[in-house]
Amino acid sequence: MRAYTPKDNVQKKPYYTDRYWVAPQVAKHEVSSDAVFARDLEAISAKFTVLEAYIQVDQMVVIINAEDNFGVIELMKNSLEYNQLSELSAIDWLAAEGKFEIFYQMLSMSKRKRVRIKCKIDEKESIQSVEKLFRSADWSEREMYDMFGIVINNHPFMKRILMPDDWEGFPLRKTYPLQGDEFASWYEVDKIFGKEAREIIGPENRDPARVDRYDTERFARLGHEVPRGADISQGEPDTPLVYQESEGVFLIEKFDAEKSVVISDRDR
Amino acid sequence: MAQHQVNYLKDGGLPVALTTIDKVVNWGRSNSLWALTYGLACCGIEMMASGASRYDFDRFGTIFRASPRQAELMVVAGTLTKKHAEFIRRLYDQMTEPKWVISMGSCANTGGMFNTYATVQGVDRVIPVDLYLPGCAPRPETLQYGVMLLQQKIRRESASRAQKPKRLM
Amino acid sequence: MQQSNRLRPFFENITFDRADNEMILNFGPQHPSAHGQLRLMLHMQQEQITKAHPDIGYLHRGMEKMAENMIYNEFMPTTDRMDYIASSSNNYGFALAVEKLIGLDVPRRAKVIRMMLLETNRLMSHLFWLATTALDIGAMTVFLFAFREREYLMDLIEDYCGARLTHSAVRIGGVPLDLPDNFIPDLRKFLDKLPENIKDYEDLLDSNRIWLMRMENVGVISTEMALSWGCSGVMLRASGVEWDIRKEEPYELYDEVEFSVPVSDKGDNYARYKLYMAEMRESSKILYQVLDMYEGTQPALMAHAPQYISAPKLDIMTQNYSLMQHFVLVTQGMRPPVGEVYIPTESPKGELGYYINSQGDAYPYRLKLRAPSFWHTGILTDLLPGHYIPDVVSIIGTTNIVFGEVDR
Repeated sequence: MRAYTPKDNVQKKPYYTDRYWVAPQVAKHEVSSDAVFARDLEAISAKFTVLEAYIQVDQMVVIINAEDNFGVIELMKNSLEYNQLSELSAIDWLAAEGKFEIFYQMLSMSKRKRVRIKCKIDEKESIQSVEKLFRSADWSEREMYDMFGIVINNHPFMKRILMPDDWEGFPLRKTYPLQGDEFASWYEVDKIFGKEAREIIGPENRDPARVDRYDTERFARLGHEVPRGADISQGEPDTPLVYQESEGVFLIEKFDAEKSVVISDRDR
Repeated sequence: MAQHQVNYLKDGGLPVALTTIDKVVNWGRSNSLWALTYGLACCGIEMMASGASRYDFDRFGTIFRASPRQAELMVVAGTLTKKHAEFIRRLYDQMTEPKWVISMGSCANTGGMFNTYATVQGVDRVIPVDLYLPGCAPRPETLQYGVMLLQQKIRRESASRAQKPKRLM
Repeated sequence: MQQSNRLRPFFENITFDRADNEMILNFGPQHPSAHGQLRLMLHMQQEQITKAHPDIGYLHRGMEKMAENMIYNEFMPTTDRMDYIASSSNNYGFALAVEKLIGLDVPRRAKVIRMMLLETNRLMSHLFWLATTALDIGAMTVFLFAFREREYLMDLIEDYCGARLTHSAVRIGGVPLDLPDNFIPDLRKFLDKLPENIKDYEDLLDSNRIWLMRMENVGVISTEMALSWGCSGVMLRASGVEWDIRKEEPYELYDEVEFSVPVSDKGDNYARYKLYMAEMRESSKILYQVLDMYEGTQPALMAHAPQYISAPKLDIMTQNYSLMQHFVLVTQGMRPPVGEVYIPTESPKGELGYYINSQGDAYPYRLKLRAPSFWHTGILTDLLPGHYIPDVVSIIGTTNIVFGEVDR
């Protein structure tokens, strides 16, 4: 019987698992251990509900409700001096809990601090755009839509950005295989030559280690070259070793090492 | 590097005897291979390096052109993605006959390390290729050696022969 | 049998029956001065641009998806292909993120070598930027000069790691090799001559009338715009914000070396050009100091953490337990702790950040690459309107975008 492979998460799994392995945790510190972060968190929690907050690897992580995202980032920009939104993207937790996690990575240049705002939304839920606050969100939100299919409200130009407009599927979802689905594997053939050319061109070779010993259409063994497409299943004849164009080339003078100046020192 | 006579170039449906006119025309063609700048990714940087001061491609008569209508050699240098595939085909169609294609680097040959949804697994799925250069990224010397091999191939062709389709045209 | 394909000329996809005078110009995706595969849809009123839509993704290879299906060490060579002009800085950013995740401390000699690699990469990148931008604007001589110097640096890197372009010269936990014998004297020889070379470029460009006309007061980015668009690196510093991650949030040995951060408040192309030149001088200053640091460091190159990092080669060959651990680490991969980390570094282009979400598996659950060029391309949407066609090329040139990084 074939082993069962889950369809909701096709990420590569280690083929060896240790039952007794307990993964260690990256230390989470109390926000109160850092005065600057503690003041920022106070300002945020005064206006919005903060589900959780901690400091991990010198950066504060604040988890909020998804509907507060615009308000929190507006507050951070206008009154807490976080003047750059350096990154924004999502994580796919659909297989585990049916949700997407969205994170906003913010930077305050005056305080030299970085804060990560996180929130979770359902698969069909959409989220408010923060493009009005930071123009950089324009492209990151488009990328998020392109890769995960998360719809953004109030976005000025909600189109795919990295993949072609007529692409099907959202590549960074865990349900999407690394090497693409049926649509992806024939995309360029369908687009350029049409579906009827699929048979002529043939499927993609996705095995990087594949070597066909008898393929003379594309490969030739050095020293045993045969005409292209010849049948070599009975073995190839030996080709005598002849230097390339040893008889000289028409109208071209041959390089003569004796007459040339060899520069060994680059004089630097 | 291979030092054998590459016979499969000669036997690929080519006439045995070449006339002097063939020789003259092929001499002209092989020594003024104008290449289309098709730097797609990292290999494009090495392609630029081979055209720059140290490696100096001009001594082969290879000058990079920006327009496909002035070029007869397409050096596909870098990863070809599915989004870009239609454009490479369009530019290939715009090049004038006779034209040749060098696929430079693993990505252009087979998709290389990018065995993913977004990468075309070898440019020969879209355009016919004359020469495959291995390496990631191939050194400028490799590209120059490749161009020299291509020159040999051109010298062995009959000048009046129309290019035969290799896999798909 | 000749088989026709279905591609039709591109203009059939665009409607021309417009009442106004507007023209739509397609620029790219294979344009020689687009520095890669950038496609711009420009709406024009005569020669002036009214609206610009950069279209990217022509080099999207799915690196983030690849990372999710690779063990951590396997992903290292892929980072090379991101900003392929300065590969080591990408390698370093990833290695640093994983080291922060698992809490490793790297031996001092490895740090010194990493600093050398980072700064030589910065020099290489800036030289390449100068060469290509000058070529786009028509200064062929500068292109040849800058490539000459760059080749010398590439030789040095090749002496160190064997590759010219895709270095993979940094490992998680240190560096794989010690410096070759002639590295330090050769680098010193290069650095001694570099100021002369930079002066050559400046002599050719600074007072060149064409260069000034194409550069001065073209592509002015205001401070607000730069901050709002998430600009970093030279793009930000040319707009009057003094922010260099090497200085503000020092990593490696940047807090031990002395260097200054050049800033300009003009925000135009010429300011960015001047900053690149000044940064090359600063890099060489850092390199001189780092070269002196190398003497007197202990020979250890990799951190000692048997759970995550393979033992030195000698131990693997002689001790059974080290061999077993090496085998497990190579076949199954290291398993960092559960947690997430975002680590920014100052790559030659700007803030290069790696966000890693680890669930304690050998494969990262999510890896987000924060590449500076992505936003430097995005800013073209707001920057290009109002400019003329020839300015497009010089603006794209000075934004210093690399498409391996934009599309990932």
